[in-house]
Amino acid sequence: MPVEFITERLPELLLRTREHLLLTGVSTGVAVLVGIPLGIYISHRLWLRPFTFGLVGVVQTVPSLAMLAFLLALIGKIGVVPAIIALTLYALLPIIQNTVTGLEGVSPDILEAAEGMGMTPRQEMRLVKLPLARPVIMAGIKTAAVISVGIATLSAFIGAGGLGEFINRGLSLADTRLILLGAVPSAMLALYVSFAISSVEWGLNERRRKNLGALSGRPGLLLSLAPLAVLFLIGGAGTLWQAGPKGAVKIGSKNFTEQLILAEMLAQRIEATGLSVERRFNLGGTMVCHEALAKGEIDMYPEYTGTALTAILKSETRPTDPDEVYALVSREYLKRFDLRWLKPFGFNNTYAFAVTEEAAEKSGLRRVSDLRDHAPSMKAGFTSEFSERPDGYPGFRRAYGIEFGKVLDLDPSLMYDALKKGQVDIIIAFSTDSRIPGYRLSILEDDKSFFPPYHAAPVLRAGVLEEFPEVGAALAQLSGLIDDRTMQLLNFEADQKKREVAEVVREFLEGKGL
Amino acid sequence: MEKAIELIDVRKHFNGTHAVRGVSFEVLDGETLVLLGSSGCGKTTILKMINRLIEPSSGVIRINGKDILGQDPIEVRRSIGYAIQGIGLFPHMSIADNVSVVLRLKGWPEDKKRDRTGEVLDMVGLEPETFGPRYPDELSGGQQQRAGVARALAADPAILLMDEPFGALDAVTRNVLQQELLKLKQTIKKTIVFVTHDIFEAFTLADRIAVLHEGRLQQIGTKEEIISAPKTEFVKDLLLRPIEQLKDFKEAH
Ligand SMILES: Nc1ncnc2c1ncn2[C@@H]1O[C@H](COP(=O)(O)OP(=O)(O)OP(=O)(O)O)[C@@H](O)[C@H]1O
Ligand SMILES: [Mg+2]
Repeated sequence: MPVEFITERLPELLLRTREHLLLTGVSTGVAVLVGIPLGIYISHRLWLRPFTFGLVGVVQTVPSLAMLAFLLALIGKIGVVPAIIALTLYALLPIIQNTVTGLEGVSPDILEAAEGMGMTPRQEMRLVKLPLARPVIMAGIKTAAVISVGIATLSAFIGAGGLGEFINRGLSLADTRLILLGAVPSAMLALYVSFAISSVEWGLNERRRKNLGALSGRPGLLLSLAPLAVLFLIGGAGTLWQAGPKGAVKIGSKNFTEQLILAEMLAQRIEATGLSVERRFNLGGTMVCHEALAKGEIDMYPEYTGTALTAILKSETRPTDPDEVYALVSREYLKRFDLRWLKPFGFNNTYAFAVTEEAAEKSGLRRVSDLRDHAPSMKAGFTSEFSERPDGYPGFRRAYGIEFGKVLDLDPSLMYDALKKGQVDIIIAFSTDSRIPGYRLSILEDDKSFFPPYHAAPVLRAGVLEEFPEVGAALAQLSGLIDDRTMQLLNFEADQKKREVAEVVREFLEGKGL
Repeated sequence: MEKAIELIDVRKHFNGTHAVRGVSFEVLDGETLVLLGSSGCGKTTILKMINRLIEPSSGVIRINGKDILGQDPIEVRRSIGYAIQGIGLFPHMSIADNVSVVLRLKGWPEDKKRDRTGEVLDMVGLEPETFGPRYPDELSGGQQQRAGVARALAADPAILLMDEPFGALDAVTRNVLQQELLKLKQTIKKTIVFVTHDIFEAFTLADRIAVLHEGRLQQIGTKEEIISAPKTEFVKDLLLRPIEQLKDFKEAH
């Protein structure tokens, strides 16, 4: 990995590390403050034990992303709060479990002696049970903290920041270096956290420090707290640093390249008006973005008409005329969510048949209807989803009356390579995929408008345009600016050439005189 | 002489098993009473009822003439020294801390605590400088037993309950500790209830002996009274058994 790749991102790396520390620190801290008293409470009431362990255990088995999505829906916020709640829930089990196990492990002889000498239950807990259970409890805290560091990487999906930001971005842009930039520090952090907690455990164990001279007393205890204190300082400093001015307009995006480009374009246009912008990109999918927008956590994000129709509105009618879909979606959004659709960017990111440029030239393929004579002798590569969906291959055959000689089910990531290598003659692609220019492929025009339209446009809270009238004007200039080919090329710059999204967008807007 | 402890028709059953079936006796001020009986006869149960670790099913227990059931159990326990069967030292505390923890509960100042801890460790023959800073697992079994006794003595309670404190020891060490306890008895003048199943230990230490069998008191008296006039078959048997055993052993060789 080139050094400048890291040095360029060092300030952000520090910021993300701090965010990560804050997420794990607060959640583990809360889990300790709640879990230990709860563990103590349960240890007195054994009938509560199966109940509580069952409950916390069930929470533990909920997949992290599902948990985040659920909390998002429940409290209607993206960002740090739902992330911390989720992390705390995950951290609770090991802490409660180890507290109960540790307290139960104290031998009855010892308890009898404690009781027999006249200790009150409180004194017995403080002087005997807790100190004896401490190593087990500390082990639970360590487990919880390490789990937290790991799961916190997922918090980026709901805009909570942390090292997961790099991982998400790396996944969206298919950039391994970015993934490593998030994953490696997070793994190192987990090791360090584990070390810091072991150090505290060492410090609390007076007996182990007994023969260490100066370290046997208070200085040793203080020294043992130092590694943990370092984490607090870094995390705390991070919070102060972050407490700077918030952006006036909050822009979100889903987690793939095209969305990042479009969102960045919105951001740069709005910044050009002098307003400040907060980028809350890379949110975990359509539902997260929509919830965040509806709840006012973000002000806008780019959405596709077809996605809005099926995934959000869950509409029964599926018109294929682009204008009709756009009109339906914008009407319903305003009515149901008080959200506005601006004019589309221009391109349509939908299913499209792709062949190599040579094949297109040789056989004169420009439109889907041109396939009629060639199809019986062609080998097609489809995703299994396209092969199955009623509005996929089955519907297509009926609409065009065209059937391919042979159909292979391929993984989306392998499909393009299979076409390039000549293993198949035609594939079902997405019309703005960066591999279309990258692999020199040709898209066939859907002349019977069979595929549902997926035109991208900014969706925003109706209030934003009233509050900042200049935003409407700035974004209006983007309408119709990007056709399919342009979007393919922009995706190509970011995906294949691995260029910075911000730079690609700036260059594009300058080229358009904006 | 005053009655320090008084049990009147005390019974205890644990859902179904009758551990103690109507026991009455008294322990006089400064007297050592040994509860003697075989395993499971209810000795520990009786002891624990005296410091309210176990509540009797029925009957009355008085200490210095006052019914303990009307008193705060924590207060009752703090006024009684208790050396448990098994040792029960706190493994996370040094021997000195183990001994002084009772004083800590009573809120003694630091320097008085330190002095008293040294004093009782000396009493049980543990050199405070050497053994005070050590942890329980750094002591031999016998030394741990001594530390347990020191802990029971620490707050200078008028009453001492000792449940087979020398149980796990070899005969020689056991004898040494018995002799030391006898000496200690002269100097500290305490009311002691001492539990054992070893008849010779009972004879060595007791002012009076209470023989128990299956939760019932068989006989109570000095060792002379018991030897000269055993009241029940069980007591007779108890006295004869060592002699029988010796005889069997001789015949076998
Ligand atoms: N908590 C309890 N629950 C049920 N039964 C008990 C309980 N404690 C004691 N017992 C029963 O009461 C009887 C007397 O027990 P105790 O501990 O007083 O005997 P012991 O004379 O001290 O015997 P050992 O010499 O073996 O210590 C035994 O049969 C025992 O099983
Ligand atoms: Mg016993």
